[in-house]
Parts: sequence; C-alpha cells; structure tokens
Amino acid sequence: MTALVPALRRLPIYRLRGSNNEGVLILSIIVLSVIVGIVAPSFWRLSTLLNISSSSLENLVFAMGVLMVIISGGIDVSFMAIGIFAGYGVIVLTNHTGFGASSAWTSFAIAAGLGLGLGTLNAAAIAGLRLPTLIVTLGTQGIIRGAMLAYVGSKVIPDYPPGLDKLSTNYLVTATQGASSTRLSVLVIPAILICAVMSVLLRYTTLGRGIYAIGGDAESARRAGFPVFGIQVFIYLFAGLLAGVAGMMHVTQVRLANPYELVGGELDVIAAVVLGGASIFGGKGSVSGTVLGVVLISLIKNSLILLGVPGTWQRATVGLLLLIGVSAQALTASARRRNLDAMPETPA
Amino acid sequence: MSDMTERMVRRMLGERSLVRLAVLAIAVIILFSILSDNFFTVIDFQSMGFQIAEVGLLSLAVMLSMLTGGIDLSIVSVANIAALVTAELFKGTDAASATGGKALLMTAAFILVGLAAGTACGVLNGLLITRIRITPILATLGTLQLLNGLAIIWTGGKAVYGMPNAFLNIGTGYIARVPAPVIVLVIAAVAAAVFVNRTGIGLRLQLVGANPTAARYSGLNNARVLMMTYISSAFLSSIAGILIAARSASANADYGASYVLLAIVIVVLGGVNPLGGYGTVTGVVLAAFVLQLVHSGFSQIGYSDFLYSIAQGGILIGVMALNTLSTRWRLSSRLAILNRWRRAEAPTAQPPSALAPPLPPGASAQSKEAERKP
Repeated sequence: MTALVPALRRLPIYRLRGSNNEGVLILSIIVLSVIVGIVAPSFWRLSTLLNISSSSLENLVFAMGVLMVIISGGIDVSFMAIGIFAGYGVIVLTNHTGFGASSAWTSFAIAAGLGLGLGTLNAAAIAGLRLPTLIVTLGTQGIIRGAMLAYVGSKVIPDYPPGLDKLSTNYLVTATQGASSTRLSVLVIPAILICAVMSVLLRYTTLGRGIYAIGGDAESARRAGFPVFGIQVFIYLFAGLLAGVAGMMHVTQVRLANPYELVGGELDVIAAVVLGGASIFGGKGSVSGTVLGVVLISLIKNSLILLGVPGTWQRATVGLLLLIGVSAQALTASARRRNLDAMPETPA
Repeated sequence: MSDMTERMVRRMLGERSLVRLAVLAIAVIILFSILSDNFFTVIDFQSMGFQIAEVGLLSLAVMLSMLTGGIDLSIVSVANIAALVTAELFKGTDAASATGGKALLMTAAFILVGLAAGTACGVLNGLLITRIRITPILATLGTLQLLNGLAIIWTGGKAVYGMPNAFLNIGTGYIARVPAPVIVLVIAAVAAAVFVNRTGIGLRLQLVGANPTAARYSGLNNARVLMMTYISSAFLSSIAGILIAARSASANADYGASYVLLAIVIVVLGGVNPLGGYGTVTGVVLAAFVLQLVHSGFSQIGYSDFLYSIAQGGILIGVMALNTLSTRWRLSSRLAILNRWRRAEAPTAQPPSALAPPLPPGASAQSKEAERKP
C-alpha cells in the first residue's frame, strides 16, 4: 500500500489532482451532481445553478479574506461580525442621515471603510502586539457584535435607501419555472472581480509572496527581508475591508437588514477554505481551490434540500466536511514527514 | 496562623497573577458600589453561585487543554450532549413520576450515562488530535459544529423537558445555605488542582505544554497525555452540562453559545498561558468570580448583555496585551541589568554571543542544519 502511492503519483492522471487538491474537489462536485441528479431530476435546471451561485456569492468574498489570513498562518473568527456590522451599519447610517442614499456605490464604499476600520482592531493586536490570532479575533468578535447591538441598533430594518433598493432587484439572469422564478444578482460580477484581484495579488505580487512566506515561517520571512509587520497589517486591514463588502452584499441580497444574522456562520466559510486546500499551518492555499470549496459546500447544502433531507442536517454535515478536510491535510502532512525521514542522507 | 496556612498565603502572594486578580475583584466591587447605591444589598451571592458553577466548570475544562498548549472549543457542544442524553433518558422513561428510592437510583444512573456520553466526545477530540494529528483549534472547531449539528438532528432544535425533582434539586437546591452547584464546582476545582499538581499525569501535562519537543525527548508519551487532557476536559464540560440542565429544567442543543468566549476570557484572565505550560486552578476560579461580579454589576446598573460582550472582548485582549508587554518589559530590564553587570566585570571584553545582536542568517542556518542531523 505504501509502496503503491509513489508509483501512482507518477501516473499522468495524478497531475490532474492539482497542487491544492483542486482535481479532487472538481471530481467530488461532479460525482455529487450526478448522484443528486439521478435521485432528484429537478436538479438539472438552470435554477439550481443560479441558486448555488447566489448563495455562494457573499461567502466567496468572505472566503477571500479568510484565505489570506489562513495562508499567513492565522485563523479569523471575527469576519462575520465585521460583515454584519458594516452591512447593517450602512443601512442605519443612510436611513438616519440620508447621506449617499441614491447611490449604491457610496453605500459599498462606506461598508468597505467600516470593514477596514474594524480590521485595524485585529491588525493592532496581531501585528502590533503579536498575540495569538484565534484569541484576538474571538475577542474582537465579541466587541464588534456587542458594539453593533448596543449602539448601532438591534431591530430588523425592512426599509432600504433607494440606491440599494434598486441594486437589490437588479438581476443578471432570471430563470422562470412555472410560477416560481430564480434570479442571480448582478453582485456576482464584483464577487468574481474580487476573486480575480486576490488571485493576481497572491500569485504575482511581492506582497502576495510575502503572505505565503510569513505563513511558511515568519522568522525566515523576516530574515529574507520581508516587512513582516507591514504585511500583517495589510492582511488584517484588507480582510476587514473584504468582510465589510461581503456583509453589504449579504444585506443587499436578503433585502431585510437583520443584525442577528451571519455571526455563527463562520465555520461554513472556514470549512470551505480548508477544503479548498489552504493549509492551517500556513504557507499554502489558492484562490481556485477556495472557489471550488465554497461551491462544494453550497452545492451540498442545496442538494440536501433537493433530496428532502431536513434542514437540521446542514450543521452536522458542514462539521463533518471540515473534519474530513483537516484530517486529509493532517494525514498527508504526516505522510510527507515520514517520506522525508526515509530519504537517504546526502553528504553535506 | 498555622505553619501550613502561612506557607499557602506566602505562595499565593508569590503568584503575581493571583494578587492582580484579588486587587481587580476589590476594584470591581468598589466601582459598582459607587455606580449603584445598593450593590451589596441587591447582589445576592447565593444567586451568583448558581451561575458561576457552570461557567467555572467550562473554564476549568478550557484550562486543562490550554495547559498543554492546545484549546478546547467544543466545551459547550459537549455540555449540551451530556445534558440532552440525560434529559432524553428521563423523558423516555417514566422517571418524572417515579418516587423515593427508585427516582434517586434512576437519577444517579441517568447522570452517569450523560457524563459517559459527554466524555466519549472527549475521546473523539483526543483521537482526532493524537491519531490524525489535527491541530486542537481545528479539531475542536470541527467537533463543536459536528456535535452541535448531531444534537440539532436528534432534537429537531427543540428543548427537552420532563426531569424529576430529584434531578432538578442538583441545580436549584441548597446544602447548608450554599447552592448545590457551588459545592459541585468546589469539588471539581479541588479535584482538578490535585490532578494538575499532585499526579504524575498532571505534571506531564504541564511539561508537554511547556515544551512538547523536550517532553518527547525526555521519554514522555505526548499522545497519551493529550488524550487524557481532552477526556478530562470533556468530563468537566459534561458536569457543567448536567448542572445547566438541572438549573434550567431543560436541555437544548443551542444553549450557551456565548460561553465559549466567556470561558476563554476567564482562563486568560486567570493567568493561564495560552501557549501552554503555566496556569493555576485558583486563578481560574478567582477569575470566574470576578467576571460574575462584573456581570451582576452590569445588570445592576442596567447595562445590556451586549455591553457585557464588549467588556469580555476588551478584557481578553487587554489582559493578553498587558501580559505580553509586561513580559517584554521585564525581559529587557533584566537584560539591561545583566549587561551593566557584565560591563562592570570585564570592561574591555567582547559581549558574549547570547547578548549580541542577531546572528547573520548564514550562521543560524548552519546551526539549524547541525541540529537536524542526529
């Protein structure tokens, strides 16, 4: 068995697996689609595709921020709190002051600014004081959510400013099936653009390589000349900004600003990023893998409904998926460690 | 003062974090006495006792995992599993209508089954961490979601009722005017202190946390120690779950999601090092008391739970920042003293390498290379 694996690894088909398990994810998505399609033929409709795309949309943008943090060797549990603070905050602010009510662009800019501002909390504690990321973001999650509910508001708001109201009904594609119709928001375009920007940033810029370098080993990155402090500040500020934009997207799409939403759903996004091949030890991860991870989780949630599985199963399913994803990573990591140990020693 | 108490007091004064906590507790009491006219008459220490027990037990559970340098995020899910198993057993049998000896026997048996179910979840955590070698953060984040999800599937998200008085007394009764949950907490805290400080496995647990590599090279079986840690942590969480069910007369898959943050705040405030190796049970229990005081004070002057959540986050980050900064300051001041002393000893000598500016990259790479070779 152990001798078989390296032999298999030389087969050309093995290369399809991709550096971040992209191949495995694509295969899972195809197999799952075929199985669900056979059991419930209604799966093969445009509406399913649109449903999955709309539900992936905001998680995709959240996931880009989380991806960056995980590649740098950290973990973030505050992004949903930042997102709903920004999204809900903009609605409250615009309704109160009327500032930028006519333009959705202004709303998104304010949300991004709020996200950036809240990201400074994480940046100060993590980059400035070098505190553990999980503990810091748990703390900021409590602070940000508490501050929103205590000072910004705690009521559900159905009235949207005209700019956002118009955007929320601006659909790119509509699929009508008898009486019901499924739509895909135009917001899918900025979501794809953000993924493209993140992909270029991580792959082709010095800053992006620095993020991988810090995740590999912060001390080595520092000695190699990367400004570790500056890069970490950028990571948490930009992750905050992305969370703000994603929160605004969520609030726009649901057309009902509810401050109690989002927080508690962090694991869906973290699981997607980890399933997409990002290493929890840092230094590894890709945008393409993350996109596939988000789509896979969204597909599974959607299929559960189509297959008639009660909604109560969703949480356990995502938990199980996360455990499978991290187990696969941990097992490959220890296999690699064994292989390194087994290698013949080369003379220095 | 007897010899032993004198020694104990001296030891406690030696712990800076304990002194700091005691000062903080007094400051909180004074602050709220000023802010509200009748803090002491209204704050009922008995009613505080009922809440402090479950939070204190969950904090002790987190403390054990943190001593090894890990963390257990699944505490609340485990507590709810234990509570639900016990509650469903009561619901499934006619225990609520049973009387006398039969009721007592059933209560004892069902509590044991609930504790066993919760502890089994700890075995799952332990296996994921030691066998598959997932980092504790992600392993317990996964089981947090998985166990919570399973509980939702089982109950459909509804609360479970129907427990007999013999059981509810554990959560609401008094023994000699002391709330019963407080007695459970005290017993658990003493047991945890004995476990950590007086048993071989407890000592190993702290050693693994202080330096896992050194512990392994000294022949410690890290996997076994970690397994024991997560099992003990789940056991303490399960006791908390039973207390929650007995106090609220119900069990619910989604109870107490905010306790994860609270327990971590308490543990960090109690002086436990999140990187492992150091912490005291006394500190954690004292910190739980301080936060309960803050909570009572907040509700006394009409602050909402949202503000309490801000306070928790602020305390967590503030304490961590203070610890880091004071450690850095102490290190640099000690280095300065050392440097001055060395300069006085040998004014012309080269500074020794340990105090010299960082080595050039090449030198360090070589030393790492040498380390790796057996």
